[in-house]
Amino acid sequence: MRKVGIVGVGQSVFGVRNDVTIQELAWEAVKEALDDAGLTQKDIEISIVGSAGTRTYELYPAVPVNEYSGFSEKGPIRVEAACATGSAALAVAYNMVASGFVDIALAIGVEKMNEVDTATSLAVGGRGGNYLWEYHFYGTTFPAYYALYATAHMARFGTTEEQLALVRVKNQKYAARNPKAQFQFEVTVDDVLKSRPIAWPLKLYDCSAITDGAAAAVVASEDAIRKLHIDTPVWIEAIGYASDTSNITRREDYVSLKATRLAAQMAYRRAGIEPKDVEVAEVHDCFTIAEIMAYEDLGFVEKGMGGKFIEEGQSDIGGKVAVNLSGGLLGKGGASTGCHWSRNDL
Amino acid sequence: MDMAERKAGAKKTVKIEGGPTIDSVPITYRHKIPIGKTLKYWDGLREGRIYATRCKSCGAVYYPPQSDCPYCGSSDVEWIELPREGVLETFTRVYSKPQGYEDFEPYIIAIARVGDVRVMGWLINVKDERCVKVGDEVVLGTTYIEKHNKYIITFQLKNKQC
Repeated sequence: MRKVGIVGVGQSVFGVRNDVTIQELAWEAVKEALDDAGLTQKDIEISIVGSAGTRTYELYPAVPVNEYSGFSEKGPIRVEAACATGSAALAVAYNMVASGFVDIALAIGVEKMNEVDTATSLAVGGRGGNYLWEYHFYGTTFPAYYALYATAHMARFGTTEEQLALVRVKNQKYAARNPKAQFQFEVTVDDVLKSRPIAWPLKLYDCSAITDGAAAAVVASEDAIRKLHIDTPVWIEAIGYASDTSNITRREDYVSLKATRLAAQMAYRRAGIEPKDVEVAEVHDCFTIAEIMAYEDLGFVEKGMGGKFIEEGQSDIGGKVAVNLSGGLLGKGGASTGCHWSRNDL
Repeated sequence: MDMAERKAGAKKTVKIEGGPTIDSVPITYRHKIPIGKTLKYWDGLREGRIYATRCKSCGAVYYPPQSDCPYCGSSDVEWIELPREGVLETFTRVYSKPQGYEDFEPYIIAIARVGDVRVMGWLINVKDERCVKVGDEVVLGTTYIEKHNKYIITFQLKNKQC
């Protein structure tokens, strides 16, 4: 496998973006990434378009996105991995370069979630588990899936609603300083606790929003980076990748995400590091409980101590690991594919 | 870019309505879902029984049921009925409801340990979800949901009222 570096990144403004189509939204990120890398469309050999899709009118978004961005003949390969779609696009682009298939690849993550109403969006998201055995019978929304984890985690470890709220408070502190975030303001624990229930025990502020957004990254081989005279690439040391059952009833328990544990082990092993070496992390905080479980499953703190970890400020700047300094999905916006790109790139 | 930001006090939220929009030509999906290989399960729900499958070759039990065993490669499975009692492992009450469920009162989705497997169902006859606890014992049954013309699994608390 060849060394692979990220040489350019771009992001759209996240939020309710009723002003643009999915192509126009993707272009905002693509243009910024190309400019950042100092490259043009002709330098890109293949485009990987990550889009969970199904909420936008354009059901096959990859080709329209490529065409609009001016490289219709370069790929595309469309990838989907539900809420990890952006990471999956980057993993594919990385492997395309690492394997020698191409020297320069573009990974795009784009999601338009606000073209349909909230009830429709929940019905689409709920199908992210298993339609036939779960949604069909019981109307399992995605907030409900994570609420099932929250209830179990609270019962088993005494994790409190206040500790969950602290995750939102921390992430809003950084979202307030991120000009591309959907929610650029700070909140208090009280604001979170008093927000309306979505899927008890999760309340509105425990949940990331329904967001439109796009991100793009240009990845290149070591040779290409040298030829382009780029002296500040971000090398990808390792990627770990794993999943779990679609039926939540078949999972081992409801206090941990096995996929996170497995993917983290892979990434740590390949990078030759341990959890204690990590100083900064972007983790999947689609719901506050998800970030608490991520502290534990990534090995930053032992299982069950995630609530205490945030309470002690260990996941903030000055603590053991500074987590989600972008504002995370909670603050920056929950466009499924747009901004999950640091999750596995430890 | 025409960026109109909605402001609530000092709260800056990105909501860019931009120019006008048009409506798409609507598309309606109504999928035909094959149940031929799991028919016993669907018949069982009508009779108040809950079935899983067990691989005759290696003994693996599947719930939800499946007719092929990926571990030993056998497709020779038998149906086994699950017990009518279980223990709550977790639950939530859904207040923000998805399309197709808008007309229901906020409903409680629960997962119970039933014998060797876990079963999802709606926990019914509960007013206050805060009084329900993980570890509570439940009795399993099935209930007809007229709106969707389907039977679902329902749980009721065995030893308490909430």
